[in-house]
Amino acid sequence: MRGLHAAILVAGAGLLLGYGHLLNSYWMHVLIIAMFYAILSSSWSLLAGYAGLFSLGHVAFASVGGYTSALLVQFTGIPVPLGMAAGTAACCLIGAGIGWICLRLTGPYLAIFTLAFSEIIRIIVSTEDEVTRGMTGLHTVPLFNTVSRLPYFYTVFGLLAGSLALMGLLVHSRWGLFLRAIREDEQAAAASGVAVARFRILGFAIASGFAGLAGTFYAHYIPVLTPDIGDLDRMALLVVMTVIGGMERIPTAVGGAIGIEFLQEYLRAFGIWRLEIFGIVLLLTMRFARNGLLTPLWLQFVRLGEVRRPAAGAPEGIGTEASPGGSAV
Amino acid sequence: MNPAVDTVLGPSHAAANGVLIEGVGLAKHFGGIAAVDGVDFTVSAGDLIGLIGPNGSGKTTLINILTGHLSPNAGRVLVHGHPMAARPAHEFAGRGVARTFQLTQLFGRMTVLENMMVPGLTRPRSTRDGAAKQARAYLTFLNLIHLEGLDAKNLSGGQQKLLELGRALMLEPSVLFLDEPFAGVHPRLRDELIKRIQELHAAGRTFVVVDHDMESILRIAKRLVVMARGRKIADGPPGAVRADQNVLAAYSGL
Amino acid sequence: MIDYFLIQATNGLVIGIIYSLVAVGVTLIFSILKIVNFAHGDLYMLGGYTAYYAITLAGIPPFPAMFVAMAAVFTLGVILERLFLTPLYSERTERKDEYGIIITFGLAFFLRNAAIIAFGVFPLKPPSFVAGVYRIGALVVTNDRLFAGVVGLLLIFALLYFMTGTIWGQALDAVSQSRDSASIVGINPRRFNTLAYAVGAALAAAAGALIGPIFAVAPDMGVLPNIQSYVIVILGGMGSVGGSIIAGITLGEAQALFTAFLPDMTRALSYSNAFSVFVLMVVLMFRPTGFFGRRHLRME
Repeated sequence: MRGLHAAILVAGAGLLLGYGHLLNSYWMHVLIIAMFYAILSSSWSLLAGYAGLFSLGHVAFASVGGYTSALLVQFTGIPVPLGMAAGTAACCLIGAGIGWICLRLTGPYLAIFTLAFSEIIRIIVSTEDEVTRGMTGLHTVPLFNTVSRLPYFYTVFGLLAGSLALMGLLVHSRWGLFLRAIREDEQAAAASGVAVARFRILGFAIASGFAGLAGTFYAHYIPVLTPDIGDLDRMALLVVMTVIGGMERIPTAVGGAIGIEFLQEYLRAFGIWRLEIFGIVLLLTMRFARNGLLTPLWLQFVRLGEVRRPAAGAPEGIGTEASPGGSAV
Repeated sequence: MNPAVDTVLGPSHAAANGVLIEGVGLAKHFGGIAAVDGVDFTVSAGDLIGLIGPNGSGKTTLINILTGHLSPNAGRVLVHGHPMAARPAHEFAGRGVARTFQLTQLFGRMTVLENMMVPGLTRPRSTRDGAAKQARAYLTFLNLIHLEGLDAKNLSGGQQKLLELGRALMLEPSVLFLDEPFAGVHPRLRDELIKRIQELHAAGRTFVVVDHDMESILRIAKRLVVMARGRKIADGPPGAVRADQNVLAAYSGL
Repeated sequence: MIDYFLIQATNGLVIGIIYSLVAVGVTLIFSILKIVNFAHGDLYMLGGYTAYYAITLAGIPPFPAMFVAMAAVFTLGVILERLFLTPLYSERTERKDEYGIIITFGLAFFLRNAAIIAFGVFPLKPPSFVAGVYRIGALVVTNDRLFAGVVGLLLIFALLYFMTGTIWGQALDAVSQSRDSASIVGINPRRFNTLAYAVGAALAAAAGALIGPIFAVAPDMGVLPNIQSYVIVILGGMGSVGGSIIAGITLGEAQALFTAFLPDMTRALSYSNAFSVFVLMVVLMFRPTGFFGRRHLRME
């Protein structure tokens, strides 16, 4: 049936919104954190999976956004939502700047550069502890004046839904096509008339803006903000989530983030072993199922929504789904 | 030929008369080596130029300069009279300068149709439907239409060359630079490629073709430019150039 | 006051040599496998721990324990390379850059968490190689630092000898310049990938073992040396071993003196790290692909 998969997704989201208040506080917290990660993983998938720009500094933008917002609110007394907007805007700008500086860098060089950027942010945030409170943590102003988690739940749900809608529009637009062309071959993209520099900067700015947005929400949700939000282990966890889910599609990246976050909680009994298991799964996924574990499921799911045609016709238009002949290494 | 195709073959730029690209005093050095050393190169509307020369004579470097992929150390490039010094490659494409690459450079993990859509959608005021229609017309012309849903990396070598030509055509270019289009292509597909180029030329398109395959070049070229050691040593009708002493010397020196 | 600077300068020298040892391994692996090993700092960390446990549990004296660590991490390098890096050499693998980045980044995550599980998060201090301190006039240096500096240098020279004076090393050097040379001498080039990765890993392990008694070992001890090694490789003449030594020592000295000159010690320490990372970013801006400008090792 045409659009069945979309209908199922909307129904699922509706159920979650309608009955979300029945969740106990603990699982609601897990779900909120999972959606925070989902914004990060989907935007990293946009950058690394679609545009082919392997930034290892993505969570550093969550840190920049979070601290910018938290400190602005604390020192200037502006309302929290305004601080969040400012933090997000700052990340867009810095992201564009990094994108511009990195224009000539590709592959591992870009990864090293962004890793270095991320380390500098972490060092500054932990060292300037007179302002940021460093590793002791910054007590942030909460977004809502209530002990209930429900308003946060609705907020992050809205942020995630809005982010995904925007990213979906982007990847299905001609800009999305250009970003993929740049990922495949920058020189050929330029020869085809794609303004490579402009779109690389744009890709960085947009993805960093979403990471910053997630960070600002996190900062005003978690009572105490620490530099951990942007450290290397957090980046590694993000890579784990996105790659295990499937980094080349936004829905699978989201699924990876939510799935891994829930597994983290579900497997609490395993303590520190959880991360090690995720590490192994990440390595095995890269080695044997490089498109991600959720990708086959997702393709199957999408098929529910396709109109059955007598002959197996070619895909229509410029959909973002790579053809089923996609690489399985 | 499909009549629907016929309408798209010719250039849409009505003002396709006179000089399209003018390179004056072009020079490019890599380290101490002069790859291109003071070359003048003019492409006029309706040309079908064969650009030949021994390996390392600077042909590809010259093409890279004329299509904006390299900026010259000296000299200037005018496209339709606009000075293009230090402009990025996509602006050359925007002004109707299209090219293919020595080693085919497609968007491997994108479908054949998507490969065609990229240049189609970079054109101002392009619509998705319009570009798709145009893309399918070219794919039909190039006998690739049945492959439109396949990822480009899954095509055969010859089909990839054809697709690259199709992608270049999607810019509705006033001039096409083809860098070694016949290299490594099966003879049957090579004949098809030559036929397509001749048909497009007959419909009014301008070509610069670089290749080692003298036989193919001589079959199509209306004008021959010969390079050796970074310099242009001959430029004129194929008959005259072939008789040129300099050219003979350069080739016997191989 | 001048003594303090002398002490700092000596410390910088030693740390610089240790950094060079890590960086030489990164270069070696890049020149053969064409990947940047993001897990290199974690191999260094494992070297530190292996030496620690070889000394404390097996009762092996500190210096032989360093060789135990090298052998153990060499073996681990062979295993990891065989298990996870072989797709890099297959024609069928696409986007090898992407694979190399994620797989070594994933390995780093895996090894770091394995260390936390096995060894705990708290720093451990192995016993000294050579107890006591060395005095020249007012200059006081712990023997451990002197030992680490000397042994580190000797290991780098041993690598140079290996690369120039032995058949395997010469072949490795040849392969780093041209893939084809391996097939010409009739050796399966894949074995060089394994060898390069394992030798690089063993050098990192030696560095980790040498640093143990000076700074203690901890699961995250490799994070900064890993990034510092990229700085060295870039500054050190792109693949030149000699250049790496000079760059490593320069970096070590710069950091030590930077720390010595600034009044606020903790801040100076943090920002000396940030500064070298910043240098890395600046150099990359101007040499975007020149990270290892020459694609092979230079033995000078």
